[in-house]
Amino acid sequence: MSHANAFWSSALAVWWRNFLAWRKFWRSSILLNFGEPLTNLLALGLGLGAYVSSMMQGVSFLQFIAPGLLAVTAMNAVTFDSGFDGYDRLNSNGVYAAMMTSPLTVPEIVAGEYLWEATRSLLYGAVFFIVVLAFGLVHSLWVVLLPIPLALFGVVFAAPALYVAARAKTHEQLFYYFSLVITPMFMFSGVFFPVNHLPWYIADIIYALPLYHGVDLARSLMLGQISLACLWDLLWILGYAAVLSYLPVKALERRLTA
Amino acid sequence: MNEAGAPVIVAKGLVKRYGDLVAVRGIDFEIRKGECFGFLGPNGAGKSSTIRMLSCLSPVSEGELQVLGMPAGVAERRIKERLGIVSQDDNVDPDLTLLENLLVYARFFGMSPREATPRARELLRFMQLEQRQDAAVRELSGGMRRRLVIARALMHAPEVLVLDEPTTGLDPQARLLVWGALQALKRQGTTIVLTSHYMEEAERLADRLLIVDHGEVLERGSPAELVERIVGREAVEIWAENEAQVQRVTQAAGAAVQLSDRHGDALVLYSREPGRIGEELIRHQAAPNRMLVRPTNLEDVFLTLTGRDLRE
Repeated sequence: MSHANAFWSSALAVWWRNFLAWRKFWRSSILLNFGEPLTNLLALGLGLGAYVSSMMQGVSFLQFIAPGLLAVTAMNAVTFDSGFDGYDRLNSNGVYAAMMTSPLTVPEIVAGEYLWEATRSLLYGAVFFIVVLAFGLVHSLWVVLLPIPLALFGVVFAAPALYVAARAKTHEQLFYYFSLVITPMFMFSGVFFPVNHLPWYIADIIYALPLYHGVDLARSLMLGQISLACLWDLLWILGYAAVLSYLPVKALERRLTA
Repeated sequence: MNEAGAPVIVAKGLVKRYGDLVAVRGIDFEIRKGECFGFLGPNGAGKSSTIRMLSCLSPVSEGELQVLGMPAGVAERRIKERLGIVSQDDNVDPDLTLLENLLVYARFFGMSPREATPRARELLRFMQLEQRQDAAVRELSGGMRRRLVIARALMHAPEVLVLDEPTTGLDPQARLLVWGALQALKRQGTTIVLTSHYMEEAERLADRLLIVDHGEVLERGSPAELVERIVGREAVEIWAENEAQVQRVTQAAGAAVQLSDRHGDALVLYSREPGRIGEELIRHQAAPNRMLVRPTNLEDVFLTLTGRDLRE
């Protein structure tokens, strides 16, 4: 077996482990990852939307926020699993420690986690997509390209969350990442309002964050507003995936091979 | 048979450092094919560090370590493919059933579920867990979890089984079951390396022992040979009424005593010649009221070598 084959075969074995574990709790897992964005969509889209008199960039408020919430659903599905469950796999239940007693290496484990998180992102994104579709909020066939950014989310958001999980000393420390990074990013990344309405110094930060580009791309694909900006968004997401992918490897190696 | 066995693990001047702390201070050993080799020592002696290095779970700080003819730390993957590692904590996967635990682990070794399933069922039977194969791991007792970890480590039919304190925390029944399984594996030719601080375990299972403390080797040899050489064949435990009686008894026993030691409030006299100490005490009319004559064991060796300080 060649090196590359052995690497991906090992990564797939990690994916399979996560899949079997997920299969035991999939109902509650989907419900938990789905309830919040659905509430946001209905309460804000229908409720608040009724008071937002002007159309947002030419579409209704519900229409405006649906693609962003889909991207956020995917981001959260990835972030929560990599952060909390990753922390448990590392600290509480020894799943990673057991993997290390086999021929698996840390880069293979991390690659397996990315494959799995990409799967989660697609899966939870797809469930939300069905709702959005049912509301008649999909207006373009370009939407078939949506799985590309969603799959990349499996690296973009899993890498920092796994890194935080590897560095956190307690479960509580994980919450810093959620409340100081993920939640603000969610609120400001153009899910609920166009970023160009923000002061330039905030907008420029937002433009440099991956979620903004995920939200923007999802919206463009769903509404069929295809332009060079879509390619630009995709490049940003790809760049984040490439730059962040190695981030958790060293931190996990330090924890697993003392 | 052991003499004929080729060396499978060879360490020379092996050192493990964690920052400023030196856990293993340059130890040498050679583990041969087909034998059961034990590292015996109190907590913090460096047993686990040593076994983690030879399992390629922890890098060697200094010295040489060859495992199955390959340098540890360089050929990690190829070494781990041939080792079965049972770590101290029962890190079975709580989100999977027993059978899934074994199948997933086998997959880490490149075994497909199809080839792994019959093997998994056989091992669950071997470890007396077959009735639980579809149970969730969360429902298992400590003994069952440990047996599952051992079954898991055997999935890829390793040449060497490495166990870090295999029966710590188990009840006597579970311990006997594990010992029986390890003895059966040894009969089938598996080389076994284990750490322990249970004398009975070392005495029963190990062909050869390394007694370690503070990261150094104190003694090496077979359990019987160590007992004979270090504490003789007979121990006489005496509960003296006062220090004067201790003096009198020690004097009376005289040359029959190879070694003497205090175990709590008991004075223990060791002798190479069974019966001699008793004879001397009677001859000098110094026999105390409370006295126990018993054969020596590995615990005497261990306590003599490592002292009586509490290790925590």
